[in-house]
Amino acid sequence: MATVAVEVVYRGIFQKTLARNIVRSIVFAARKEGKIGTAFGRYGDSPERNGIPAKQFAIVADDAEELEENLARYEASEVDVTINVDDTMCKGIESWAWYGLQPINELTKPGGTLIVTSRQEADDLVQDMHQKDSPYDLSIIRSTVSFSGLWVYKDDHTDVRILGNLCRVCPQLVSLDSMLEAIREQFDNETKVASARRAYDLANVRPVEPGEGNPETPFKFELPGWKEMEEGLVIKAIDEGTGFRGGEEGYQPVRNSVFKKFSTRSMRPIVNFETCIKCTLCWLQCPDTCFDVTPDGLYDANMESCCGCGVCEAVCPVPDCVTMINEQHFDDNSSQYEAWQADADGYKQWMTNLIDVQKQESRTHGFHHVGGYAEEIAESAQPGGDN
Amino acid sequence: MTTVQELPQIRGVKNIPLVEGFTSGHRTCQGCESALVMRLMIKAAGPRTIVLGSTGCMYVANTTYYSTPWVVPWMHTQLGSSGSAATGTAAGLASMMRKGKMKEEPINVIAFCGDGGGVDMGLSAISAALQHDEYNLLILCYDNESYANTDIQVSGASPWGANSTFSPPGKEHRIMNKRWKKNMAPMLATGHPDCRYVATACGSYGLDFNNKIRRALTIGGPTFIHSIDPCPKGWDYDPKFSHELGMLAIETGLWVQYEIIDGELILNGPSRAIARGIRKRKPIEDYLLRQGRFAHLTPEDIKYFQERVDESWEEWWLPGVIPLKKNEEED
Repeated sequence: MATVAVEVVYRGIFQKTLARNIVRSIVFAARKEGKIGTAFGRYGDSPERNGIPAKQFAIVADDAEELEENLARYEASEVDVTINVDDTMCKGIESWAWYGLQPINELTKPGGTLIVTSRQEADDLVQDMHQKDSPYDLSIIRSTVSFSGLWVYKDDHTDVRILGNLCRVCPQLVSLDSMLEAIREQFDNETKVASARRAYDLANVRPVEPGEGNPETPFKFELPGWKEMEEGLVIKAIDEGTGFRGGEEGYQPVRNSVFKKFSTRSMRPIVNFETCIKCTLCWLQCPDTCFDVTPDGLYDANMESCCGCGVCEAVCPVPDCVTMINEQHFDDNSSQYEAWQADADGYKQWMTNLIDVQKQESRTHGFHHVGGYAEEIAESAQPGGDN
Repeated sequence: MTTVQELPQIRGVKNIPLVEGFTSGHRTCQGCESALVMRLMIKAAGPRTIVLGSTGCMYVANTTYYSTPWVVPWMHTQLGSSGSAATGTAAGLASMMRKGKMKEEPINVIAFCGDGGGVDMGLSAISAALQHDEYNLLILCYDNESYANTDIQVSGASPWGANSTFSPPGKEHRIMNKRWKKNMAPMLATGHPDCRYVATACGSYGLDFNNKIRRALTIGGPTFIHSIDPCPKGWDYDPKFSHELGMLAIETGLWVQYEIIDGELILNGPSRAIARGIRKRKPIEDYLLRQGRFAHLTPEDIKYFQERVDESWEEWWLPGVIPLKKNEEED
């Protein structure tokens, strides 16, 4: 056997512990079979920021020499399995020390597997993912996307479900028995072992053909070398803003063109322009300077720069005027204000539908109060609970 | 002393300037209150401003490899040197103008530092800057109560009991950060009698924040503002609560909002209402139980925390501000 590499793509901080549990368990399981392995985070992602996509890797090899060969790299050039623990990242990821958008399947080998935790249908996810010229398999673990934080971990068994599934789709990595043994040793919890076994039994794959998926070319930037930089390494400031869409009225800031941040978003705000009372709070309290001010004094959240923190929804005094909606329901970053201007009734219908759907979904961004996670995982933290 | 800019107090939230000096495309966390503080700060100060930033999140996360969210001139300075950078820049500008190498005009100089750079490392340089009353400058400390950039190590501004990389609660020892938060603003106000303006602030109160920046930049001489910034990463909460947690810090009486203008203390907003007995302080558990960094606290710990806050309001000479008690026999 040669080297087997696995990457976990996750939301910074929110899923850091989840990713660590996955890559560590892989290495512990490999050691049970006399193999050697290592687990590590990508250097450029540290220090992590909430929500900004990051990566951790597990590399397993037969001997130390083979392993070292693979460790001399900043990031593996290809992996046998990509694990994506938040389905909204299927649209591509812009890491904070990376420039441009990286397709979620960029490193997935020809014939490799992409594992995603999601409640979406396979066909919908494939539409989001960028095209590749080689085939690979998509394996979906049916579960609610797991978010926690830096200090308190929401132990909803997502980690072991992924590990169980992984053993099935990538049998050359480690056997299920070794994995279950490693899980038992680490977590000392038989329910988690049972969850992993069940995920192994339920695992299925959907082949993705070459050329299937999103045809868009992801945006990229050229990084200047030091010889091209100005004297004293002076960086040009961002230009002053203009009126809305370059006009006389309203205001629209010029934005950083080399880091957009929208792939950080797993939910986005939608605005009801008709019930807005122009109180300014969403605009004023936005840490990301997202809102363009329209000539009529409304606030249009710019989707190229919104990172989906949800502060605008939290500060808005009008019910359902700003609502955070799961990012999976959107295909582009177009302006909501322009859509509303073009067809107010159509916009209203679209918005009302999305709000109704959102009210039936549970998607949270982390810690709300002491004891909250225990309530949330009451159902999911058991073998059949979340499938 | 050079002249200062015309920056009148802003009356009403609708009159806050639209122009942005700190724009999108920074690499901070979702819901980063410190990024909001940067944005509000430069909004109030306007385009004729030089900003100096000591190492911390607002340096590392904003200006990575050849990119920037700043519209105004910005320069990085070392972790402990926000005070020296501010004095040097203000002195440099004054000297260039005196020699006729630059057009005479008032230019705002603002140096920011985190709690690591300000409350810990940069304290002596800030103190020196506040003594040089011939220069107009503002030092803004954005305090997220830890070294958040490097993944949450304890600073002198971290609260008692908080979980951090340096104070992880264990089975034997639950409370690992046993230090009470440093009382930064009053230390600087009482220690520098000629400093005309020291204030505390919070980004959750946007208009108040803007006006404090403007007062600091127009009063003349060196000034200092200490801002409390909820940090979704280190405090461990859903980023949408950034605004609410800032308000809770004040409504529980843990953080006190005030300005000290020419030695005169003026409490603002909810803190004033609390001091006058118009408003009751919310229980501290409303604040603590919302944050993962306090998830390990027991009811006894929360009781202790509450007693410390009560003491600051009920027993201190200047309630909530200066931790001195009156000796009854001396009266």
